[in-house]
Amino acid sequence: MSFLVWRQYRLAAAVAALVLAVFAAVLLVTGLSMAAQWHSLLTGCTANGTCGDLAATVSLGGSVAGHDLVILSLAAPAVFGMLVGAPLLAYEFEAGTNGFAWAQSVTRTRWLLVKVGWALLAAAVWGGVIAALVTWWSGPRNALLQNWFQVNTFDTQGLVPVGYAVFATALGITAGALLRRTLPAVAIVLGGFIGLRLWISQDVRSHYMSPVTTTFSAAGNFNTPPGSLAVGSGMTGPNGQVLAQNYAGRVFNGVPFSSLPSACQSLASQASRGAQGAADRCLAAAGYHNYVTYQPASRYWAFQGIETGIYLAVALALLAVTYVVVTRRDA
Amino acid sequence: MSFLVWRQYRAQAVIGLALLAAFTALLLVTGISMASQWHSALATCAAAGTCGNLSNTLFLGSHGVGFFVIMTLGVPVVLGVLCGAPLLAHEFETKTSEFAWTQGVTRRRWLAVKAGWLLLAAAALGGIVSALVTWWSGPDNALQGDAFGPGRFDIMGIVPVAYTLFAMALGITLGVLIRRTIPAIGLTLAVYLAVRLLIDQVVRPHYMTAVTHVYGLTANWVPSGAVWQLGAGVVNPSGQLLPMQDGTVIGPNVSTSTIPPVCSSGMAQAENHTGAVLSCMQKLGYRQFVTYQPANRYWEFQGIETVVFVALAAALLGLTYLAVTRRDA
Repeated sequence: MSFLVWRQYRLAAAVAALVLAVFAAVLLVTGLSMAAQWHSLLTGCTANGTCGDLAATVSLGGSVAGHDLVILSLAAPAVFGMLVGAPLLAYEFEAGTNGFAWAQSVTRTRWLLVKVGWALLAAAVWGGVIAALVTWWSGPRNALLQNWFQVNTFDTQGLVPVGYAVFATALGITAGALLRRTLPAVAIVLGGFIGLRLWISQDVRSHYMSPVTTTFSAAGNFNTPPGSLAVGSGMTGPNGQVLAQNYAGRVFNGVPFSSLPSACQSLASQASRGAQGAADRCLAAAGYHNYVTYQPASRYWAFQGIETGIYLAVALALLAVTYVVVTRRDA
Repeated sequence: MSFLVWRQYRAQAVIGLALLAAFTALLLVTGISMASQWHSALATCAAAGTCGNLSNTLFLGSHGVGFFVIMTLGVPVVLGVLCGAPLLAHEFETKTSEFAWTQGVTRRRWLAVKAGWLLLAAAALGGIVSALVTWWSGPDNALQGDAFGPGRFDIMGIVPVAYTLFAMALGITLGVLIRRTIPAIGLTLAVYLAVRLLIDQVVRPHYMTAVTHVYGLTANWVPSGAVWQLGAGVVNPSGQLLPMQDGTVIGPNVSTSTIPPVCSSGMAQAENHTGAVLSCMQKLGYRQFVTYQPANRYWEFQGIETVVFVALAAALLGLTYLAVTRRDA
């Protein structure tokens, strides 16, 4: 069976290897020059003692081609799921070649395990190689901007691209097994991948662990530590209760005027910067506090692990459905 | 033939219309509330005289809907991959093309009717999505003034229709040449992205000669309207561009290593003496410049880009015609 899979996919493997080689070549060339630039910057600013405000004064763009490829790597898992995962079983069903394979003393279970196993392994390698290159390439930029948790940075580096690629491929395999037609399965990978990725990155990711909350005086100032993921911010009243936020009507720092003490309302309604400070001091005197919630940068690998685990678990559930469908259904 | 095309594509038509209806509802609801938010903000800031810094204080729309709007960048290529690439490739794969050709339908008519209806439908879909996005983004474009920039230019106006026609034609042509659906899909994806990125980043800035404005180092000058800024920098007295090398910079990105010694002498820390250094360089003849495409060229650029992609689509369809009519079945 493994030899059959190789015969079926040797052309696809060659094309994928070629694509990876071009990707690696572009990132290596542009990444080496960016790393050299970064090291000379670091040496320069250490000598002058100006490394503190490096992020404000320099930019590390990398080349346009390298940057384009790094952004495009967001789509690499979906492309693998569409081109390899979706047709893996659907195309066999469409062409009737599964019936031929099953008549050659190959059990359905073995046929499924070998095909799916190699495909998932290839997906993990595809996602892993691309992620390793992107992670290495982005090293200097990440160190400069401290943006590991940013959307599109978190999603293209570390472990998660492996989880995404395995999930996209499993989704394609399952859709193909259920629908038994290639094109609808391709469309489902596209829609399902984008839908789940958007939902998790926008709504779920920031809640993997309960965030750290820092409360400070309404007249004070607090910057979240560099590299952290901002979750929320707001104001608490004199009893420590969180004031509901509202962006319609007259608001001060996002809180409606009706929630503020009447003594501070007239100050808050004045637009000038001095009155803003006076309003802050008025609120602080009345016992109001500001708060921010965030995920510290030290949780980066925990978050990468949790997110990868979620996608692998979804992939496993999808594959279980595939197994049941393929082994139970009539040929 | 037209009825056959309808029978083949009615499920896709229903799904496409359902998605379009959901997208329309989302944009209409959020777009109307965003427009009223914008109008009330304009009225408030006009009364208070603070409209100048409105773009710093006002946030329009929501991140979620904004994501959907940006994702319309992918509509042309999705149509090209899911409708264009299989259009003929799947027929060749399953040999239904031969069946059609033996029913008194010429190859030419078969190709014209199939490709014609699908191109028309794709162009209509691309046009409707683009019209919705253009209307929805009106207030935000006025607020940010960046409608001409890459990313926004590509999802508004008439260019999305041209991208859709190009993506469809590319899929159809690759399907005819390769005669297999999945490889045609993969290649359509790759070629579409490569052509769009190449034109976006290399060709489009040169559709018309950019305007360069030179002004004093200590002056502050911003081109008016929603321009597309292509570059900015500092030139020395003989007109050469100062290298934008990294390191400590002052003022308009003047690297400290390029400051002439006569201006930097006795300077302990550049940032404390920025004003003095800049006016010293100004006296020596250093100037800064901005290169940009003016805002009033927006529709000319839309027109040129549309012509480029429609011409590419026409050339691809010509190739398809030759391949289908000349090749053995």
